[in-house]
Amino acid sequence: MRANHPPETELALYSGNDLSAWRSWGIRRHLAACSECRNEVKAHRDGLAAIHDAAVSETPGHGNWQRLSLEMTGNIRVGLAAGECIAGFEKTIRPMKPRLLWHAALVFAAVSLVSIAALSINLSKDERNGLFANLGKIRWERMFRPLRPPSFAQDAVVLEAGPAEIEVKSNGRALSLTHPHSDGGTVSVNMQDSAGVRYVDADSGQVTTNRVYYAQ
Amino acid sequence: MRSKAGVALLAGSLLGGLLQAGVLPKIDFPKDSPVSFIGADYGESNESARGGAMLLDLHAALSLRNSSQRRIRGITLIVTAQDVTPGGKGSVTVTSLDVGPAESFPVRIDLRLLRPVQGGGNAPLLVGLDGVLFDDLGFYGPDKLNSKRALTLCEFEARRDRRYFKQLLAEGGPEKLQREVLDSIARERDRPNVDVQMVRSGRATNFEPEKQVQFAFLNLPDAPIEPLDGMAKIAGNEARAPRLDVKNRSDRAVRYLEIGWILRDGQGREFLAGAVPAQLNLAPGQKSPILNDTALRFPPRDGQPLAIEGMTGFVSNVEFADGSVWIPNRADLAIPRLQKIVGPSAEEQRLLQIYRKRGLTALIGELQNRDR
Repeated sequence: MRANHPPETELALYSGNDLSAWRSWGIRRHLAACSECRNEVKAHRDGLAAIHDAAVSETPGHGNWQRLSLEMTGNIRVGLAAGECIAGFEKTIRPMKPRLLWHAALVFAAVSLVSIAALSINLSKDERNGLFANLGKIRWERMFRPLRPPSFAQDAVVLEAGPAEIEVKSNGRALSLTHPHSDGGTVSVNMQDSAGVRYVDADSGQVTTNRVYYAQ
Repeated sequence: MRSKAGVALLAGSLLGGLLQAGVLPKIDFPKDSPVSFIGADYGESNESARGGAMLLDLHAALSLRNSSQRRIRGITLIVTAQDVTPGGKGSVTVTSLDVGPAESFPVRIDLRLLRPVQGGGNAPLLVGLDGVLFDDLGFYGPDKLNSKRALTLCEFEARRDRRYFKQLLAEGGPEKLQREVLDSIARERDRPNVDVQMVRSGRATNFEPEKQVQFAFLNLPDAPIEPLDGMAKIAGNEARAPRLDVKNRSDRAVRYLEIGWILRDGQGREFLAGAVPAQLNLAPGQKSPILNDTALRFPPRDGQPLAIEGMTGFVSNVEFADGSVWIPNRADLAIPRLQKIVGPSAEEQRLLQIYRKRGLTALIGELQNRDR
């Protein structure tokens, strides 16, 4: 191996424009100051040109080497794409397992700790106490648990009661009793069968109780 | 009154042009009903399409007449929309009435029905009579919704509270009555009122850890039932499956009781969640468990998730085998914890409304003239 010179393999790849942009830039810098390597590259390029000429002269009809190369590359790409398509049929589709990205979680935790430490150094005592009080309210036991919408089953009959209205609903159908002519109502629930709201009608002064019931 | 009924009939018939006739409720009272239907005003009712569903927004003011010879104290109408809520139904109860023979009175029904356009059927909306309570505590009606018990309890509460306010008036004059009324209005304003969702059998959520929580009990000295022990399952903002053990400490058999269920959240705030009822046959001295598989869920309060931490129970009413009832007296209800949480009776609400709208003199007049 020649000291302080790029390896011959890299010079050969550079000659055929087959080196990465970053390495090509490095080689170009070296060639600007090194006549020995420049000669080496020239020799490689002369050899490549000779091979190219020989191939053209031996191809019937003096075929276009450049075009042939492009067609071959194209065929290879089509083959790879076809292989990708077929691969989907050959493999058994398996559900993806949920993966905990522990490294991401660790990075996040580390960044959080550093942030909290930096904040706590720069915060006043009251502000620091407030911060820790808020951290204490975080419901740690719910972390890393899958979240599900907190709703009753779709097909369940649900009674809902609020000061403004009561409702019995199931499967997208609903019966609501309202009381638009009052200042609000008092909710009451009978755990056996019903929910209701009592209000005073602003016009008549009558005390009315609306209730909705489960099927009996 | 007659002219008013005529106007209602006219309005009802005019509305027939705005709403399809099949959409209007069918009012169906028994032939021997002590209450007769005079007419209905459907005001601003309308029906509109909402996505793949039809929404009926009904505002009905029914005009009814007391066709019996007794004074009516309360009435319950049953509302059924079979194709909307199979088996489910609603009711509208008006209490604290004082309707004499041949007098008419209004009952307002405001409801919304949401049903799919396709496959929703078109069963009519039915309004029927479930029960009427008279001033002699006599009852008429099919009583499918246990209206007799509910109306009787309301009437007992009404008598208790009118007696209490009249006593205040007699002891301390209008000033003492006014002071109590103002205190009651202030308590009503401060009383927590929560939304609640209720479903039978099973949990609403399954990602909160569930725990068994023991009931504490508020002891009402003269209650005929003594709660002995109780548990319920709590998970976050959800409470379910209460189980209570009670003992009949009276000398009469009990056939129905309700235990008021107070919940306490993480911030120490208490609110009345509901009543745990039990239909049983409890002889004097006998003990019995009360089981219920219903789940209650409470949405966030003041923007904060509600986390239930504790529970308290108290006996809220009892029905004896002979049909008589027990309700807490005013001294029981004056226990600060109960006073803060339990709302006023229907009659107290009505009296407070008279004070708000018409003043102290009108309230005194109402108290003096009602039980003449």
